[in-house]
Amino acid sequence: MNKFIRVNMSSGEIEIQAVPNQYIGLGGRALTSSFVNDEVKPTCHPLGKNNKLIFAPGLLSGTSAPNSGRLSVGAKSPLTGTIKECNTGGVFSQQMAKMGIKALVIEGMPEDDKFYVIKVSMDNVAIEEAPVEILGGCGNYDAIAFLTEKHGKNVGIAIVGPAGEHRLPSANISFKDPEGNIRSAGRGGLGAVMGSKKVKAVILDDTGAGTVPIAEPEKFRAAAKVFANALLSHPVSGQGLAAYGTDVLVNILNEAGGLPSYNFTQGRIDHNDIISGETMNATITERGGDGKVSHGCHRGCIIKCSQWYPDKQGKYITSGFEYETIWALGADAGIKNLDLIAYADRAMDDIGVDSIEVSVAVATAMEGGLLPWGDGEAALDAIKQIAVPTPLGRILGGGCAVVGKVCGLYRTPVVKDQAIPAYDPRSVKGIGLTYATTPMGADHTAGYCVSGNILKVGGDLDPLKKDGQIEYARSMQIGTAAVDSTGMCLFVYFGIADSPEGYQALIDMINAQYGLSLTSGDVDKLGESVLKVERDFNKRAGFTNAHDRLPEFFEYEALPPHNQVWDFTPEEIDEVYNF
Amino acid sequence: MNDPKPSATEIRGFLHLDSYLRKKHGTMPVILHLLEPLTGIELAKKLEIRLHEVEVIFVNGFVQDLDTVIQPGDRVAFLPPGCPGPYRVALGFYGKNQKNASNFKLSK
Repeated sequence: MNKFIRVNMSSGEIEIQAVPNQYIGLGGRALTSSFVNDEVKPTCHPLGKNNKLIFAPGLLSGTSAPNSGRLSVGAKSPLTGTIKECNTGGVFSQQMAKMGIKALVIEGMPEDDKFYVIKVSMDNVAIEEAPVEILGGCGNYDAIAFLTEKHGKNVGIAIVGPAGEHRLPSANISFKDPEGNIRSAGRGGLGAVMGSKKVKAVILDDTGAGTVPIAEPEKFRAAAKVFANALLSHPVSGQGLAAYGTDVLVNILNEAGGLPSYNFTQGRIDHNDIISGETMNATITERGGDGKVSHGCHRGCIIKCSQWYPDKQGKYITSGFEYETIWALGADAGIKNLDLIAYADRAMDDIGVDSIEVSVAVATAMEGGLLPWGDGEAALDAIKQIAVPTPLGRILGGGCAVVGKVCGLYRTPVVKDQAIPAYDPRSVKGIGLTYATTPMGADHTAGYCVSGNILKVGGDLDPLKKDGQIEYARSMQIGTAAVDSTGMCLFVYFGIADSPEGYQALIDMINAQYGLSLTSGDVDKLGESVLKVERDFNKRAGFTNAHDRLPEFFEYEALPPHNQVWDFTPEEIDEVYNF
Repeated sequence: MNDPKPSATEIRGFLHLDSYLRKKHGTMPVILHLLEPLTGIELAKKLEIRLHEVEVIFVNGFVQDLDTVIQPGDRVAFLPPGCPGPYRVALGFYGKNQKNASNFKLSK
């Protein structure tokens, strides 16, 4: 990957540079966060001309390494005000890598009020006016179909929906998946940044692209085989996720008393059966038609945690129907109807908003009296109003923190104004430390992986006790920052945590591709350096340790059934980043 | 879901054990009226759940070893290997699964 493309929307200038020296060894999150820290003024307004949006494939993207097709997108977040790295599947990352594009940067903003499409092919980058057919409320499903028809079925597409056009803080960037459906760089409002630069879509045409060069092909193939075997032979990635998706976590978190419900006032519900992964599997199987219990979000995915969820007639409703979205609407908002939740998920994808942020905002809006508790029809109607946007649509699209303020609530589950996902920090304390301290705002995916022997950092954890949780949260964030830089799906961790040879194979693939001799220690150092870069940006943007805190209500509202409160002191929380 | 009597033990199965128990017993949760305490291993055998299909059990919302003693009236769930994410660590499975057939054969 030797091209570094800059598109300046103020001047219309396009520059295709060689990769700057400091970024040659970086990919994915390491690259996007380093770039944002280097070039974005930390105190800039996220929707102003000084913010920059960067797309970067991971170090292994475009190769035959299983599950390596993830893309990182970075900028200053309009939701949190912090640095942001968002991660997505789809075909974009692998196409960028095969086209030799290390990064695509969009900077500046045009003075006129038109929307544009950036088209990138092997020998050209062009800025064109966006077709009127995909503007003014057109949903992402139709817009992707239109652009695919216009530019060819194999093009990669990154697009903002109506929410991005209106620069709402929950707006995401949607990516075409292998079947023309939608994957999302969801969290933190990067769709609003793209919308602020008046870029409706980026089209990648990889006609004429070759393969990604591998320095030592034999070693690469051997390592990839070990890696694939580690994934497929593990019951989590080989069986659990493929059959039940991430929604398998509903019953588990519910049983553990850590499923935040009715705006974080309960840790367990009685209607878990209605929204569980087991029920989703049975429903998809029974309905047949377009339904698939297992589906990969990008080529080369062998875990296949996604699925196609159909309606009663067997017609596709949505895919990538994740636990966190189903939790937020099903448990936190109390909607006892999986079909309505699926239609809401589809609507959020179509409008282009983060389905965690908006779904938690819906639950908060129910507590605030804007919507009736558990009313799925009302929630779906309100979500669709984000596309207009009506005043209610703008409030929901503003995210959970905005809803909490508008409704005068103290119980607003956010950190750095980003909604807390599906694992209650009072009952799963290690996750709470990650929510509090990650540079991204509350984000469960910020603490997902750890290198080396998992037992050394998590062998004796009790989710309700503080012992070992600081080391756990620190190690998990470091490991995650490293894996996010490889282009690997974080879910590979399920397989390699219990397989030391699988983890080594991941490092061996990177070494074979680039002719390096990295060790697991080097990978840990990479993770640490990414986090330090991100913390540095946030510090210069005005964030301090005082922002690394959970909302106060967690400290005095005990969560049933275990009746736990959040009891880490500020000094203990600050220890997470003492490295 | 009807309120079970105090001595009635509520039993759930997750992942493929969900459909297995539903098919075998017709309901979820399965309600057993236990007369005396028994271990998770004994309960699994009573329900014809194979031990290698269980990573940990939940007893009254707490993750436990398979040989934990279950009292009549407890709420129990059998969890096969297959819980994704860091949650097997965060929820404490690794501290409780070491004696099980499905402990993935790791050592400290």
